[in-house]
Amino acid sequence: MNVGLLAQSLLAGITNGLTYALIGIGLAAIFKGSRVPNAMQGEFSVVGAIVVVLLLTGNGWPYWLAILCGGLSGAVLGAFIEIAFIRYMIRNAAPEDSYLLLTIGIGLSISAAVLYFFGRESHLLPGFGSDNIYIILDAVVREHVIWLIAISILLTVGLRQFYRGTSVGLRMMAASIDPVGATSIGIDVALMRTFTFMLGGALGAAAGILITPIIPVDYMIGLQLTLKGFAAAILGGLTNPLGAAIGGLALGIIEAMAIVGVSSSYKDVITFSLLILIMIAMPQGLLGRAGRTGG
Amino acid sequence: MKTARFLLIVVAFALCVALPPYLPRHLVDLLVFAGIYTIAGLGVGLLLGQCGIANLGQIVFYAIGAYATAYLTVYVHAPAAVGFVVGIAISAALALAIGWPILRLSGYFLALATLAMGIIANALFFEWDWLTGGTLGIGGIPKLQIFGFVLDTPLRFYYLVLGVVAICMLLAQNLIRSRTGLALRAMRDSQDAAISLAVNPRWLRTRVFILSAVLGSVAGSLFAHYGGFANVQSFGIEKSINFLLIPVLGGAASLIGVVVGALFIAFVPELLSQFGSVHQMLFGVALVGVVVLMPAGLTGALAGIWRRSVDGAKP
Amino acid sequence: MSGHAEILGVQGVGHSFGGFSVLKNVNFTVPHGSIVGLIGPNGSGKTTLFNVISGYIRHQHGLVAYDGEDVRAESIQARSIAGLVRTFQTPKVFEQMTVLENIMAGAYKLTRSGVIEDLISLPRSRADMRRITELAEEVCAKFGMEKLRHDLALRLPAGQRRILEIARAVIGRPRLLMLDEPSSGLNTNEIASLRRWIEQLRAEGIAILLVSHDMELMTVADRVHVLYFGEIIASGGMDEIQKNAQVREVYLGA
Repeated sequence: MNVGLLAQSLLAGITNGLTYALIGIGLAAIFKGSRVPNAMQGEFSVVGAIVVVLLLTGNGWPYWLAILCGGLSGAVLGAFIEIAFIRYMIRNAAPEDSYLLLTIGIGLSISAAVLYFFGRESHLLPGFGSDNIYIILDAVVREHVIWLIAISILLTVGLRQFYRGTSVGLRMMAASIDPVGATSIGIDVALMRTFTFMLGGALGAAAGILITPIIPVDYMIGLQLTLKGFAAAILGGLTNPLGAAIGGLALGIIEAMAIVGVSSSYKDVITFSLLILIMIAMPQGLLGRAGRTGG
Repeated sequence: MKTARFLLIVVAFALCVALPPYLPRHLVDLLVFAGIYTIAGLGVGLLLGQCGIANLGQIVFYAIGAYATAYLTVYVHAPAAVGFVVGIAISAALALAIGWPILRLSGYFLALATLAMGIIANALFFEWDWLTGGTLGIGGIPKLQIFGFVLDTPLRFYYLVLGVVAICMLLAQNLIRSRTGLALRAMRDSQDAAISLAVNPRWLRTRVFILSAVLGSVAGSLFAHYGGFANVQSFGIEKSINFLLIPVLGGAASLIGVVVGALFIAFVPELLSQFGSVHQMLFGVALVGVVVLMPAGLTGALAGIWRRSVDGAKP
Repeated sequence: MSGHAEILGVQGVGHSFGGFSVLKNVNFTVPHGSIVGLIGPNGSGKTTLFNVISGYIRHQHGLVAYDGEDVRAESIQARSIAGLVRTFQTPKVFEQMTVLENIMAGAYKLTRSGVIEDLISLPRSRADMRRITELAEEVCAKFGMEKLRHDLALRLPAGQRRILEIARAVIGRPRLLMLDEPSSGLNTNEIASLRRWIEQLRAEGIAILLVSHDMELMTVADRVHVLYFGEIIASGGMDEIQKNAQVREVYLGA
């Protein structure tokens, strides 16, 4: 095992891990804001990436504009889901488990739709910035990876600031923690929930757009991303975006180490076994705040 | 009301026995799958309806039952019963070993743990091809024979499955109506209060988990004999999600709901496939429709319609 | 420990959470078949004490003796089977079950058939269920809930939920019943009714440990202890307590 191989694997682990982190953050944001476990978070990524692919290669739009629209498409889809389904179900006092099943159903529909409209081919996006390659510790690093790392960190930190420092963010948190109390001080709980889904959708789309220059997107990848994102979010305590980020990173690194240390065929076995062990040993998640609903 | 329900069940069962010989072969084939899914879904349904646990790992025990049957009947030339028994034994042991630590977890954590279980098992089935045959799987599983009577048509197999379903339903009914059922529902509604009444949640949950695993294994073994093969493609995560959908769609609170849900999962994708490749999308949409519009599942909705029409008939 | 004159003996019990001593040195007893009251301002440790005695918390210092035996190592379930039963500050009824089923759940611990027996419906399993149902019907009638017995507990108002919780606790033949704020959320009539139930239970030989803010209700107790931030600062009959200077100071404005 030489340094180069280790460094390359670690880098791959960090790259994947940050992707899982972004999915996990989106999941955590949605759960934090609405108590809905979103089993279709990965589909936001697929939708976002596919929109960019369509606009860029299909219609020749400038990359930055296509990316913007990709992100927006995630937000719009999120808003649609909240307005069309969630509101109705809340008004009819749907049982708690139904929301998970709703998102499963939507996820199945979207991945089937992608299969139907775009077939089985996978699509790759061009990397950000230039085609430069850097060598760090014997590992080959594309410029895009640097962008990915930087943007992921920015989004994570930005989100934390958003929830703590902006009026909208605080209102979204209040609406989720105590809907009745929030309404009584004039917060539009339903609107805050729509914002939550828009935020989660945009984050999911961002994750998809960031990873597609590295891993091509196809109709199947949504489920895989969702699973890893869920693992990341749960490791982090489910309502804690920063925890989800750390969880995702940890997951990616563990996975990469499993590939290089054992074998790539056992990577899922090792990562998910470790996930189960961590859940049993640390029921509150890595940052200790899972499931705290108060009282 | 109770006699009405009883009569309904008797009539339904009579139809199940009398009707199939007149149905086209491919419909009977679907009914066989509906029956197999009912058995697997019953386990998941008991965990969901009686314990409030979402189990996304039923596929593991289904696969174990299928592979045990496949391996033992094809490579060891053991009688079919051995395949069933070994599958059940391994599934029960595994359920105990894994269940005991993870059933402490609650809510989404537990669901994720069971999902992780499914993913791990799927990867192992793929890797351990010396045991499972990997993607090629194990083929040539012999047909089942009952006292020399070979079950080589869908209709014959259907009657076997119907019998097994009836027995499993009876057992589940017994459980629900017993003191154990009482304890399970108490535990589901308020764990703290149940504990204060000397209920031991972890112990009880583990037992139901083991029971669910046994049901999954039996279903898997039946599947292996019916299809004649077992390979890893049949045991993916989508199947596990489908198994959970069975009690959810049908209505987790009732046993009939499991049957309804299994019928949905067996028939609807087939029905939709006539619309061409758009059928998977339609299935997703149908699922969303049921979840949003019928929160108590299909049986809940039907019961609601029944109640409303009965009330409407009153002067 | 003098043992069997008391059903419950609490001696030198202390417990801290994260460096903060919620219980410091709690000492009191509950004689067989008597009603003992615990009062104290919010935050004085009453709920923690309840949790310690019933087994939800394993206390760090001191002795909790039930019927003369140290119960520290006993699980909540074991204590419950031995007759030490508690209710909760907010009634934890089984909402998706009927009133009758709730009460039946309380009789679970009186029977013994196992999961396998239940599965194949052996005679003992069926007999157990018959017995549980009969007992529950009796207790249900006794508490005046026969008309409601097939109603979902979800639909019950707060007052009825309290009674249901007590009925559910009583069917299991408790010897010490711990009631946590049983009167909160109840109107005057319901509280009077509750008081009669408590006296009735004492008449049947059940010892009762009662925590309440309601001073009027507290007069039903034979002896009252005042818990103030982890320690008993006064004990006696309700009239004595109300005249106690230290107690009045503690409750000034409360």
